[in-house]
Amino acid sequence: MALTIRERWAVALAGLLLAGLLPTACSTPTAPNGDADPASRSGQPLQPNAKRVLRISAIPDQNPEKLNRLYGLVADELTEQLQVPVQFIPITDYTAAVTAFRTGDLDLVWFGGLTGVQAWLQKPGARALAQRDIDRSFHSVFIANPRSGLQPISSVEGLRELKGKRFTFGSESSTSGRLMPQFYLNEAGVQLSDFAGGAPGFSGSHDALIALVQSGTYEAGVVNEEVWLSRLREGKVTTDAVIPIWRTPGYANYTWVVQPDLDQQFGPGFTTKLEQAFVGLDGANPRQAQILELFGAERFVPASNDQYQAIEQVGRQIGKIR
Amino acid sequence: MADHGLERALLELRAIAVPGRRRPRLQGVSLVLRPGERVALLGPSGAGKSTLLAVANGLIPPSQGSVHWLGEPRGLTPHRLRRQQARIGTLWQDLRLVEELTVQQNLNAGRLAVWGWPRAVLNLLLPLDTEACTAALQRLDLDPQLLGQPVSALSGGQRQRVALARLLRQEALLLLADEPLASLDPRLADGLLDLLLAEAAAPRGLLLSLHRPDLAHRFDRVLGLRDGQLLFDLSPQQLERQQLAALYAGGAGP
Amino acid sequence: MRLPRPAAPLWVLLPALVLLPLLLLLPAISHGGGWGLVGDFAAAALRPSLEPLVLGSALEGLAITVAMALLGWAASLGLGLLLGVASSQLVWHTCGGVAWPAQLIRRLLALPRSIHELIWGLALLQLLGLQPLVAVLAIAIPFAALVARVVSDQLDALPVAALEGLRSAGARPAAALLTALGPPLLPQLLSYGGYRLECALRSATLLGVFGLGGLGTELRLTLQSLAFRELWTGLWLLLVAMLLLEQLLGGLRRRWAMPERLNLGRASVGHRGRELLLAGLALIPLLVILGWWIGIAPASDWRWQPLPPLAAADWPAVAALPWARLVGNTVLMTLLAAALAVGLAPLLLLLAQPWGWTRWLLQGLWALGRLWPPPLTALLLLFVLQPGVLTGALALGFHNLGVLGRLLLESNDHGQRGAEQALSCAGTGPRMALLYGRFSGLARPYLAYGAYRTDVILRESVVVGLVGATGLGSQLMEALSAFATDELLALLLAYALLTLVGEELSDRLRRQLRGGARPLSPGPAAATALPLLQG
Repeated sequence: MALTIRERWAVALAGLLLAGLLPTACSTPTAPNGDADPASRSGQPLQPNAKRVLRISAIPDQNPEKLNRLYGLVADELTEQLQVPVQFIPITDYTAAVTAFRTGDLDLVWFGGLTGVQAWLQKPGARALAQRDIDRSFHSVFIANPRSGLQPISSVEGLRELKGKRFTFGSESSTSGRLMPQFYLNEAGVQLSDFAGGAPGFSGSHDALIALVQSGTYEAGVVNEEVWLSRLREGKVTTDAVIPIWRTPGYANYTWVVQPDLDQQFGPGFTTKLEQAFVGLDGANPRQAQILELFGAERFVPASNDQYQAIEQVGRQIGKIR
Repeated sequence: MADHGLERALLELRAIAVPGRRRPRLQGVSLVLRPGERVALLGPSGAGKSTLLAVANGLIPPSQGSVHWLGEPRGLTPHRLRRQQARIGTLWQDLRLVEELTVQQNLNAGRLAVWGWPRAVLNLLLPLDTEACTAALQRLDLDPQLLGQPVSALSGGQRQRVALARLLRQEALLLLADEPLASLDPRLADGLLDLLLAEAAAPRGLLLSLHRPDLAHRFDRVLGLRDGQLLFDLSPQQLERQQLAALYAGGAGP
Repeated sequence: MRLPRPAAPLWVLLPALVLLPLLLLLPAISHGGGWGLVGDFAAAALRPSLEPLVLGSALEGLAITVAMALLGWAASLGLGLLLGVASSQLVWHTCGGVAWPAQLIRRLLALPRSIHELIWGLALLQLLGLQPLVAVLAIAIPFAALVARVVSDQLDALPVAALEGLRSAGARPAAALLTALGPPLLPQLLSYGGYRLECALRSATLLGVFGLGGLGTELRLTLQSLAFRELWTGLWLLLVAMLLLEQLLGGLRRRWAMPERLNLGRASVGHRGRELLLAGLALIPLLVILGWWIGIAPASDWRWQPLPPLAAADWPAVAALPWARLVGNTVLMTLLAAALAVGLAPLLLLLAQPWGWTRWLLQGLWALGRLWPPPLTALLLLFVLQPGVLTGALALGFHNLGVLGRLLLESNDHGQRGAEQALSCAGTGPRMALLYGRFSGLARPYLAYGAYRTDVILRESVVVGLVGATGLGSQLMEALSAFATDELLALLLAYALLTLVGEELSDRLRRQLRGGARPLSPGPAAATALPLLQG
C-alpha cells in the first residue's frame, strides 16, 4: 500500500514538474542558427530581423497559383538586378498584408489603392514606388449572371437595378472590388442593406468572384477590369455566362509601396535602384516580358502618394479609413 | 404441476455452448422448462448461472446448440427475436429500472415491445394506462400513490417490487431472475421469493438462480451448474447431500 | 387536467424542435445558384489532387498547424496550472489564510477567457507582426485561462480531509497541498488536457484560415480559388491527423484510467506513473524541436511593434452603430446553432441506432463537422444560401454537432447500459431502448454540457463574421479591415460583456441541471469530475 502512495506521489510531482517546464521549453531558443537560410523555408511564416533578405509580398487579389508564379519571377528579377536575396511571402488577406507591412515584416508590397493608403498612413514615410501604366486610370466592371435578368446600363443611376439582387464584392479592402464600386453604388442611392439577404457577400479574390457570379451563387458582382479582360482573353470566362453591365469611371489603383528605411538597411540609393528596376522592365527581355504580361501591363511608371488623395477621400467617406 | 405431458414447453435449450476467455462459459447444456414449472438454478460463483439466464433471455446468442421458444426456434431475424423476447421477463440483480422516470413510466416501459412510437413518446409526456399500472402495483402490495414518484426516490424493497411489477405489465410468460435474493435481508428475501413463486403459476414459468441451497425445497425442480456444465436436474426431493457437496466442492464455495 | 410534462429522455430531443422553423425558413434564404459548385466540391472529395507539389505543401502546412497546436497547448497547460493554483481559494486559504486574492485573480481571468483565440490572434498580429509565435500565443492565452478555471474549480471541490490531516500533523502548507491534492487532481487534469489538445488542433486550423499560417491558410486559399481537388488534399490530411490524435488520446485516456467527460466515474492514474512521466519527458524535446522548426526565436520575436498612429476616436459614430441589431443577431445565431447541435446529435443517433453501418456514417459526418472550420463551411454554404444569421448558425451548428455527437457516442461506449439492455432483452426495439434506457441517464449531464457548449458557440460566433450580417462578428471584420481602433475596442468590449453574461447564465443552468443529477456511479470522484464538463 505504501508503494502505491509513493507512486502516486511520484506521478503528481512529475506532472507538476512537467507542466512547469513546458512554457520554458517552448520559448527557449535551442538552435543557435535560429534564422538560418530563409530561402530554405519559403512558404513558412516569415522570419523577422533577417534583414539581408528583401521580403516582398502582394495583396491576395488573384488565384494564389498565379501570384506565386508571378512574384517568383519578380523575386528572381530583383535578385539579379539588385544583388540581394529576395523572398516572396504569400499572404491570405488584405488586412494582414497592411499589418505585416506596418510591423516591418514586409519590405515591398504590391498594394491596391485603399490598402496602399492604409499602409502609408500607418507607416509614416512609406511611399508609393511604381505602378503599371493602367493603374493611373483604373476601372471596375459590374458583372452579372444572365439568368438574373440584369441588362447593361448606361449611367451610374442604373445601378439601382441591383437592389434586391444577390450581390458580391471582392475583398473587404479591395479598391476595385469594393471601395470604388461602393462609392458609385452610394452615388446611385444603393445601400449595402438593399441587397438580397440584407448584405453583400465578400468573395475574396477577383477570380473567385467571377466564378461565383458565373455559377449563379451571386446574381451580380463587381470586378477589377484588368482581371476581367485578361480572363476574357484567356477564354476562362465567356460573355454568354457572365455579362458586363457597367464600367466605372477611372481612378488610381495598384502600386508598389516601399518601407521608408531601405536605404539604411541595404545601402544608399537602394530605393531608387528598386524604382529603376520596375520602371526599366522591358518587353524585349524574355523574363521581363513575362512579368509585364502576367501583370497585364505595357510598362511600369513611377508613382507618388499624391495620386491617391481621391481614394483616401472615398475611403474616409465609406469608413474604411479613419 | 408435474404434468409433463403434451403441454408445449416454454423454453427449450439444446446442447448450448458459449465460449469464454479461458474456458467455455457454458458447455452442452440442455433443459426444458414447461408452463407452471418453478426451477431453481444452483451453482458456485462463476459456474455460468448468469450466462445461462442471458442465453435464455436472448442477450447472449449461443455459439452452439439451439434455443426454442414455445416450440419455435429462437428468432433468426431481429424482429422475430424481439417478438419472442417480449414474453420473457428478466428480474435483474441490479433491477435496471430507469431511475429518472416515474414508477408509472417504468411500468409502462414493460409494454414498449408491443407499443408503437406514438404511445412510447406519449408515455414520456402523460401518465398512461393508470388502471393497469395501479393493478400491477396493488397485486404486489404497493401503494398506487407511488405511480407518480421517480424511481430514484424509492426504497430498496419498493424498487424490487416495481421491477417485478414491470414484468407483470410486460405480461411475461417466462420469468427469469438472476440471484434476486442476494442483496436482501432475510425478511425481504422471503417476501420476494413468495411473490415470485406465486406469480409463476401456470401458464407462466420461473427460472431463478440462487445462492442458497436451503431454499431449494420450495421449487419444483433444481438444476446444478458447475464449470458451465449441468451436473443434475432433479426434483428437490431427489436432491441428495452428496450432490450438493459435489456441486460446491473445491474451494469455489457458495 | 394536468399539462404534459416531458420526462428526461425527451429533454435531449427538445432542442431539435428548432429544426421546424429552420426548415420553414430555409427555402426563403436558399437560392440554389451554386449547386453546380457544390457538386464539384463533393465530387472532388473522391479525387483529391495527389500532385507532389500540392501534397508537399499541404503536408508542410499540416506540420506547421500541428506544431502551433502542440506548442500553444503545452504553454496553456503550464500557464493554466500555475494560474489555476493561484486562483484557488483553498490554496490561498492554506498558505496565507485569506481567500480574496483568489477571487480577484479569478475575476481577472474571465477577460482573456471571454475573448476568442481568433481575436487574440488578430490583436497579437498587430503587436508582434506576422510570425508563428502569434498563433501559438493566441491559443495559449485563452486556453490557459480556461485551464486555470477548471484547475481552481477542481481544487476547491476536492475533499479537504486529507489536507486537514496533514496540516494538523504539522506539514508545511505547500507540501501538504501537493501531497493531499496532487494525486486526485492529476487524472482529471490529464484527461482535460487531452481534450484541450484536440481543441488546440481545431483552433490552430482556424487561425490558419485567417492567415496565421499552416494548413488553414492553404484551405482558405484553395477554397477561394475554387480549387476543390487541392482543397480536399488538405482536408483529407487534416482528417487523418485529427482522427489519429483523437484515437491516441482516447487510448492514453483508457490506459491511464482517466475519466471521460460525461462518464463521471472514479479515476486514478494508478500504476502507470512511470510511463506517464516518460511520456511527459519525451514531449519536451519534441516541443523544443517543433518550436525551432516553425521558427520561434524569442530573442527576436519579442519585438514590440509600435501601434499605428491612431486617428482621433469618433465615439459618437461608434455609439451610432446598430447595437441592438448586432447583439440580437449574435445571440440569435448562437442560440440557433446551439439548439441545432445539441438537439440534432441525439436525434441522429436515435435514427441511426438500429444499423451498424449508419453509425459509421454518423461518425464520418461528425468527424467532418469537427474538422471543417466554421468559416469555411459558411463560405461553402454561401454557394447555395444567402448570407446572414441562418447561414452562420448552420455553419456553427454543423461544427459543434461534430463535437457533441462524438461526446454522445463516447458516452455510449463507456456509459452504463444496464437499463437499455434490460429493455432490449424484453423485446423493446433498439431505438426505444436507446430513448428510454440511455437518454434518461444522459439527459442531465448532456444538457449541462450543451449549456457549456452554447457558451463556446457564443464566443465562436465571431469566426463566421465572414458571411456577412451575422451580428458583432461581421462588424468586427469590417472594423478590422478599416483599422478602426475605436470601433474595434467597443466591439470587443461588447463581445466580452456578452460572453460573460452568457457564461453566468449557462453556469446557472448547469448548476440547476446538476442539482438533480444522479451520479452515474457512486464515489466521491463523481462530484469532482463535474468541472470536466467545462471542456
